[in-house]
Amino acid sequence: MKKVCVNWPKEAFIDGLVNAKYWQDFADNAKAAAAEIYKVKDYAAAEEALKKVLKEFSPKEIIAVGGEENPVLAGIYSRLSTAQTSVYTDKFDIAEHAASADVGISTAEFGVGETGSLCVDNYSYEARVTSMLPFVNIVFVNANYMVENVTTACQIIGKVFKKGYCGFVTGPSRTADIERVLSLGVHGPNKLIIIAVENEGGTE
Amino acid sequence: MARDLKKEIKAKLNDDIMQDALSRFADQYPGSRLKSYAGQDIEELRENLRLMKLDAVDHIEELADKFEENVKARGGEVFRAKDGDEVKKFLIKICKENGVKRVVKSKSMASEEIHLNECFTEHDIRVKETDLGEWMIAIAGHKPSHMVMPAIHLNRYQCAEMFEKELQEEVPGEDIPYMIQKARQTLRQEFLQADMGITGANFGIAENGAIGLVTNEGNARLVTTLPRIHVVLIGYEKLIPKTEDAAKILRLLPRNGTCQKMTSYMTMIDGPTPVMTKKDGKWVEEDRKQYVILLDNGRLEAAHDPVMKQVYQCVRCASCLNVCPIWTLVGGHVYGHIYSGGIGAILTGLLNGIDNFSQFSDLCIGCRTCTTVCPGKIPIPDLIDELRNRYVKEHGTPTMDKSFFDKVLNDRGLFHKLLLKAGSVGQAPFKSGKYIRHLPLFFAGMTKGRSLPTIADNPLRDRMARLEKQNPSNPKKKIAFFSGCNTDFVFADTGENVVKVLQNLGMEVVYPMGQSCCGKPIIGVGDRETGKKAAMRNIEALESVNPDVILSACPTCAETLAETYQSLFKDDPVWGPRAKAFCAKVREFSSFVAEEYKAMGKLIPASGGEKVTYHDSCHMKRGLGVFEEPRALLDATPGVQLVEMKNCDKCCGMAGSFGMKYAEVSIPLLEEKVENIKATGATTCVVACPSCMMQIGGGLDKQDTGIKVKHIADVLAERL
Repeated sequence: MKKVCVNWPKEAFIDGLVNAKYWQDFADNAKAAAAEIYKVKDYAAAEEALKKVLKEFSPKEIIAVGGEENPVLAGIYSRLSTAQTSVYTDKFDIAEHAASADVGISTAEFGVGETGSLCVDNYSYEARVTSMLPFVNIVFVNANYMVENVTTACQIIGKVFKKGYCGFVTGPSRTADIERVLSLGVHGPNKLIIIAVENEGGTE
Repeated sequence: MARDLKKEIKAKLNDDIMQDALSRFADQYPGSRLKSYAGQDIEELRENLRLMKLDAVDHIEELADKFEENVKARGGEVFRAKDGDEVKKFLIKICKENGVKRVVKSKSMASEEIHLNECFTEHDIRVKETDLGEWMIAIAGHKPSHMVMPAIHLNRYQCAEMFEKELQEEVPGEDIPYMIQKARQTLRQEFLQADMGITGANFGIAENGAIGLVTNEGNARLVTTLPRIHVVLIGYEKLIPKTEDAAKILRLLPRNGTCQKMTSYMTMIDGPTPVMTKKDGKWVEEDRKQYVILLDNGRLEAAHDPVMKQVYQCVRCASCLNVCPIWTLVGGHVYGHIYSGGIGAILTGLLNGIDNFSQFSDLCIGCRTCTTVCPGKIPIPDLIDELRNRYVKEHGTPTMDKSFFDKVLNDRGLFHKLLLKAGSVGQAPFKSGKYIRHLPLFFAGMTKGRSLPTIADNPLRDRMARLEKQNPSNPKKKIAFFSGCNTDFVFADTGENVVKVLQNLGMEVVYPMGQSCCGKPIIGVGDRETGKKAAMRNIEALESVNPDVILSACPTCAETLAETYQSLFKDDPVWGPRAKAFCAKVREFSSFVAEEYKAMGKLIPASGGEKVTYHDSCHMKRGLGVFEEPRALLDATPGVQLVEMKNCDKCCGMAGSFGMKYAEVSIPLLEEKVENIKATGATTCVVACPSCMMQIGGGLDKQDTGIKVKHIADVLAERL
């Protein structure tokens, strides 16, 4: 998958700015922005959480990105498909099913404590449609990759942002254009579900 | 095209739905905004943003060149457009070249500034706004009434009518979630079928050619993802040097704009990105075409204007509207163009021409509330004054304003005679003449909603000979008392009390008879030359008695004497230094007295009693920064207990000439003030400004509240 930076921790993260201690701020603010959060200790627990979440939506079609870069995720995606659920991970398949898929699964590079935002690298078309078109967006992020605020986040982005498409996602799509009543899911996802993995290198 | 602004305002004031929406919003906004800043140093964030943008505008050509170079290096095309016509020509050309039939748009006020949509329609190109509010408004053929919440003036039933018009089916107005899903389905098809997506930009980054978009609905992400062509329409004022600098905008814009720490989506796009299209039944991936249009339309001229360049500090959060007492009453439409409120008046003046500006520039009452929240710290009322000055310089002062000021306001004896005459014949001679618009209120026969004060039979100037006899023999300081028109002619008793309080402090008070109106009414309409004459006359008169302190009990006069006089003569080699020395001696009454009391150990809280409440005058609080001192004085006054009212520092609606010219807007502001005063249970409303005293006193009397209005000098003098 095309990315602004192929290895954010190695090339973008600035020493001392990325720290798990900002997790709680991130979680509090993301929840305040109507995101759902599951913090899990490893990918095995993540898979369990993911399956539980998916049960609620009983999706017919899932489109998913991030498997190319992370074989563990690729494994999880392959185990999601059932007789009732098709999972698409190839970019052309994703394009074909983007408009009809019920759930999109994607990845984020880090979280921002001050705002509860996820920094997403969306250079590829498939990453963008996966996170925007389905009614539900589930996002994997490393729970240790947290920064304090928007200033530090922009410093990190600035280090590697030479071309492409990236930014922040903070909660689901929303509007208050009718009588200032908050309504979710106007153009993008109605639900943003974050699965934060504490130990990415841990048990598979 | 001449507009009947008064008629438009009246219609808006009678729009109960809009009135209800705006007043609820105005109530909730300040608290919600502050909540989103919890734990942040707002002033530091504002200053960082101001400095970054100031630096950007000072290097605007460099930034633009670099931005252009970087967009091109990444495969984008850049077009610099002088004005809207050039944008339209260019866009139609690329639409033809690329076979564009359908266009979706997101986040582009610049495109509305140049009326872009009409041009597409003329060329048979389908164009859809995708922001929910703008989509609804466009269906109805309305204009947005707010930069962030375009449909805030409508209720759900009115919105449902727009849905029905577009979808040709019944849409239940009570069901907002249903409407949202309908909009999602309808607009999703527009996104999927569009050939071209047009966005604006919240910022453009010179170092890498990226643009940033801040949205909540996510429409900007779809507009920049699905169509095969992306057009960016960006004004020069959006350019910033580095990606890091975006943070300086992003930490303020969502908080001020929508009271969120961050919007749902903040998207940065750098160069052409991949897009997939189906060709002959097969998906093909290629880079989309990207065209970046840098729009001038008056912006570059503003960038090189030492005063107007401050508009580059605007991030279009619209918080200046949200706190504006006038916008809150009349809504955005009366401002005539896409940009509304105070900043809208300025932007319209710079981008759409000064004639458009002049039509509604006086909807700014100069209360300065916007300056306390603006993320870029733009002195909006000062920029409006400056544009007004330029307009008058070019087009001249309305003759009646000028000659009336020269003949009457500058001649105190004549002024008083006219006032008495006006009072005796029920204001008849002054009822509807154009020239009265900038005179103090008591000329106008506008008794609706407030009583008019009676003119003192004996003006203060005629009482001074008697009062000066009471001056202490060994004075601490010599004070030249500048009364201002209201204190001289209407509140002469308050004037006496000012003198008594000062004499009690051991001060010698003298009243130079050569003084006239401070000049604010004529400077306020933009005639600085006539204002200079008033200033020279007053400087000469007050200097002649060689005072230690020049004091006024009117914050507007004090501000004019202390600050405006300096700026009037700042390039004058003779009057410049003279005005500077003069201005350094000017003091406002309540802060001066508080300082003296404190030095004497008299500024200590006393036991309470009668409930009083205090109203902050706009010029006092946000002009002079005085708000603690009057409260400290009240606290130190025995038998008085201060209870704060809701929105104590919100404009009472007088605002100099405004209260007269736009009585229909002034009166609702006054009524709100009276309600807030009544709710405190106070028996007296204390003010430190004669104009507010006139307005609030009139409102309290008209409603028969039994609540008195007193100048703080009256309260202090009563207990000497």
